[in-house]
Amino acid sequence: MTQASAGRRSAVAAHPITSAAIAILVAAAIFFTLWVPVYARITPKVGDFPFFYFYLLIYMPITSVLLWLAIWLQKRLNGTTPDATGGER
Amino acid sequence: MSHVNATTFTIVVVLFVIVTGVGFGAARWHRAGGSLLHLDEWGLGGRGFGTFITWFLLGGDLYTAYTFIAVPALVFGSGAIGFYAVSYTIMVFPITLIFLPRLWSVSRAKGYVTPADFIRGRYGSRGLALAAAFTGILALMPYIALQLVGIQAVLTVMGVGTTSTNTYVKDLPLFIAFLVLAIFTYVSGLRAPALIAFIKDTLIYLFVIVAVFYIPTRLGGWGNIFGTAQAHFASISPTTHKAIGTFIPTSKSIGSTQFDFASLALGSAIALFLYPHTITGTLAARRRSVVKRNMIYLPMYSVLLALIALFGYMAVADPVTAANVKKAGNSQLAVPYLFQHMFPSWFTGIAFAGIIIGALVPAAIMAIAAANLFTKNIFTEFFKLDASPELQTRMSQWASLVVKFGALLFAVELPHTFSINLQLLGGVWILQLAPMLIGGLFTRWFDRWALLTGWLAGMIFGTIAAYNVSSATASHWAASSDIEFGHSIYIGLSAVIINLVVSVVLTLVLRAAKVPQGTDETLPEEYTADPPGAPARVPAGVGI
Repeated sequence: MTQASAGRRSAVAAHPITSAAIAILVAAAIFFTLWVPVYARITPKVGDFPFFYFYLLIYMPITSVLLWLAIWLQKRLNGTTPDATGGER
Repeated sequence: MSHVNATTFTIVVVLFVIVTGVGFGAARWHRAGGSLLHLDEWGLGGRGFGTFITWFLLGGDLYTAYTFIAVPALVFGSGAIGFYAVSYTIMVFPITLIFLPRLWSVSRAKGYVTPADFIRGRYGSRGLALAAAFTGILALMPYIALQLVGIQAVLTVMGVGTTSTNTYVKDLPLFIAFLVLAIFTYVSGLRAPALIAFIKDTLIYLFVIVAVFYIPTRLGGWGNIFGTAQAHFASISPTTHKAIGTFIPTSKSIGSTQFDFASLALGSAIALFLYPHTITGTLAARRRSVVKRNMIYLPMYSVLLALIALFGYMAVADPVTAANVKKAGNSQLAVPYLFQHMFPSWFTGIAFAGIIIGALVPAAIMAIAAANLFTKNIFTEFFKLDASPELQTRMSQWASLVVKFGALLFAVELPHTFSINLQLLGGVWILQLAPMLIGGLFTRWFDRWALLTGWLAGMIFGTIAAYNVSSATASHWAASSDIEFGHSIYIGLSAVIINLVVSVVLTLVLRAAKVPQGTDETLPEEYTADPPGAPARVPAGVGI
């Protein structure tokens, strides 16, 4: 979504689904830690860890994966548009 | 407490000497040639860092005494609210991915060294750039101060320090450590912290992993640690007649609420990559893809942060540590006391050295960034337009010293019941750059005068609101959240909302009045450009 939003409108227009997927991945990564009621609870416990603490720990590798996917999709998006490499400026 | 353990002390000193040697030697490292007396060289390490070094450098920036001392201290003192820092370090990477690659590209294409360079180029406004530079320097001072408080906490537990009642004499060892830092930053510039970051991270990974696996076995397992913490924070304090803390953020509207938790996390996350020092670390990256890839790898540090935050609960669960901290009346000592009690003295030495170096590296990077801002956007811009590259670098070197002494004042003068407030106070200020900087990366719609007025409104509101927060122990600057519309909220976030509203309303008015908009020297494609190869040179005088 970074590049998608400006300067590469053609890429966004050509691949609306991929672009939307990128936006959703990034938004989800933010939302599910910003919306505290989702995880502000003690149960279910995972091992000895209350849910709240377990969630915060496990969410980080998940963020990494989400962002990796988003960046990978973005690369594909740019790779398929001839003028999208940003030139040599 | 005044008893110094010889083994611990020796190991800390030896590691400190090694790091200092590396710091001075760094001037020769990774040099393609070219004089160190050029701001690109001294201040951006030649702009040639790849993914790996950038990862270490940004990691060194991000995980600081804030991580090792301030966050566990808040967790120790107040419970779950301290974990906002974990939420923040998760959120920061997706948020940053949205705008940081654009800033890297336009800065590379145009040869910008600081965020204020970009502001001036984008809006054609020296005034707005001055506001950005001033904010950056101001916001970094309490953040550097936090590093000093962190070092101080370790030194206190080590028993180093004189018993004099004079703050400046008492903290003599702190000043010595500080002086060494100041000198090698002066000599080696950004290369010193980048190289030291390797040593620092190795030490930190070592002691955190050992601590996470070993300490729970001494404290009856995680079940007992969480159980003790839960009971402790639910108990009623005899002085305030309220619960000591919270174990899970509450759904109420005032106190350690979910709303406050989220606002602290969001505010901090937006703020992080507005700081000049994180932008400095970013601009030193070789390619745009290096910046993006780091948003994937950097969360690995966040896992570490979550584990370190849990040290706060371990300190609660260990009766000896809890008693020591209570006796000293300083939550910042929680982690150092925990390590001292749990580890053999040689390993304590490694851990303490890791914390001290872990505070010095970011302090150096921050001071360099603040110095770049001063030289580029205040000195060269307003006082000496024709400053040569040599003079600029000399100026930056001196400015880095001045900034550090400013930070020392913050460290000594502000209350540190919770040192995390130093970082949050910096956040209140730096967040006021969000509309002009993040906004400016995506749109030129905002009017420069509207942004300047919005910035001023946010700065004034934020500063006054933070000043007015009092607690049982401090009459001012006691915390960084206050109550707006019946909800506890991070002051930085409410201030930037005011800033944004003022900017939008005034832009509408000024645009309707057809006020001239200034020249925008950037081109749309420069925000996505990825120029490879030789680093861009700083243009001598970008016309206004």
